[in-house]
Amino acid sequence: MDNKSALNMKKTKTKEKNPFIGALAQIAKNQDMKSFKMVFDYFGPRLKSFLMSSGAEESIAEEVIQETMTIIWTKADFYNPKLASPSTWIYTIARNKKIDILRKSKKAILENIDTAILPPVEPKLEEDIEHDQRFEILNKYLDDLPKEQLDLLKMNFIEEKSHGEIAEITKIPLGTIKSRIRLAMEKIRDRIEKDNKTNDPNIKSLGIN
Amino acid sequence: MLDLMAQPSVTPAKLLFQQCVAESSIEGNTLNFIKNEISGYLLNKVEPRALRKNVWEKTLASIKSSNRQKNSIITDPFYNNLPVVLQDYLSNKKVKWKNYSDVKVAMLTPSNEGDKLELIHVMPGGSIPQHTHEGKENFLVLHGSYSDEYGLYKAGSVQTRDEDHDHKPVGHPTTGCIGLAYTDGKIKFSGKFSKILNFFNN
Repeated sequence: MDNKSALNMKKTKTKEKNPFIGALAQIAKNQDMKSFKMVFDYFGPRLKSFLMSSGAEESIAEEVIQETMTIIWTKADFYNPKLASPSTWIYTIARNKKIDILRKSKKAILENIDTAILPPVEPKLEEDIEHDQRFEILNKYLDDLPKEQLDLLKMNFIEEKSHGEIAEITKIPLGTIKSRIRLAMEKIRDRIEKDNKTNDPNIKSLGIN
Repeated sequence: MLDLMAQPSVTPAKLLFQQCVAESSIEGNTLNFIKNEISGYLLNKVEPRALRKNVWEKTLASIKSSNRQKNSIITDPFYNNLPVVLQDYLSNKKVKWKNYSDVKVAMLTPSNEGDKLELIHVMPGGSIPQHTHEGKENFLVLHGSYSDEYGLYKAGSVQTRDEDHDHKPVGHPTTGCIGLAYTDGKIKFSGKFSKILNFFNN
């Protein structure tokens, strides 16, 4: 097999892994409505689930979704597949939008911060998209994690509950919760860093609250 | 009405500062990546909850009336030293610098929340007059480095200072220092020119 077809195969494989990378590129380049509908149909109902689990009412959740989707449409250009997976990018927009909607008086300022999570990147070509090992390592680790552990991460990061609140709900001692969440993050970090040889050796301690 | 309102409030200044720390700090980078990606992973695994029909229609109406934004990169070399999150925040704003002898300070967010976010540019070898802090100041070094009575601080590091820290920071002799300061309260100058500086700072 020559180099070119090997490259093509790699490309196809990456695309198969995450069809939303291609969909966001299509929205950015061609304002492709079909891709947009695909993103909407997949992420809309999932975001609704997330937003409501963090305490938002149905109408607020849907308002957040509508605005999040509008940002995806207008700013798909800013998406950089090397920095975040599509679900993470979309989740981050929705989280910021939620804060925004709940604090409408400060809307003008927060709207600007929105684009903040969408750092400007060099215009990209689909061919440039390399598969980043980090995403694979992370997914693999989380796939293997017992459900109870994943639930702790979910309560902490998605439902935005404090460690104390999680302890109350799960009846697991506070210290155990803290160490489980820290351990999960440390393990992922260790694996990512093992993979990434250029990493800074100074990174040792963790600062999670 | 909303449970969410009960969450500890995040002011625009604080949010922007946190995002800059996440992007710039040596430690924040990997951890923030992991934390965000865990959220993204969980979003893929969650049980979907059907949207009501009008959400798609409303979204269509909303994208029709919105402007697509072209991704623009600020070319000023000074801005290239800033986190992209900050570059983007500043891209459609005019930054008003206050000039002191060795230092330039720009207020980035309105101060009506009781906290403030400032961009601080210390000229090479320049110093900030002796001062202490009212409330808590978190300082993120974005470019270059500075030193004070307590140590030397390089790009990517964050220092927290309060009223117990009376110090006189000096910028690196060749690079100077660019940093971002998030403060809960006012800084109080304690040196020779303190009266004047405190006046300007008000």
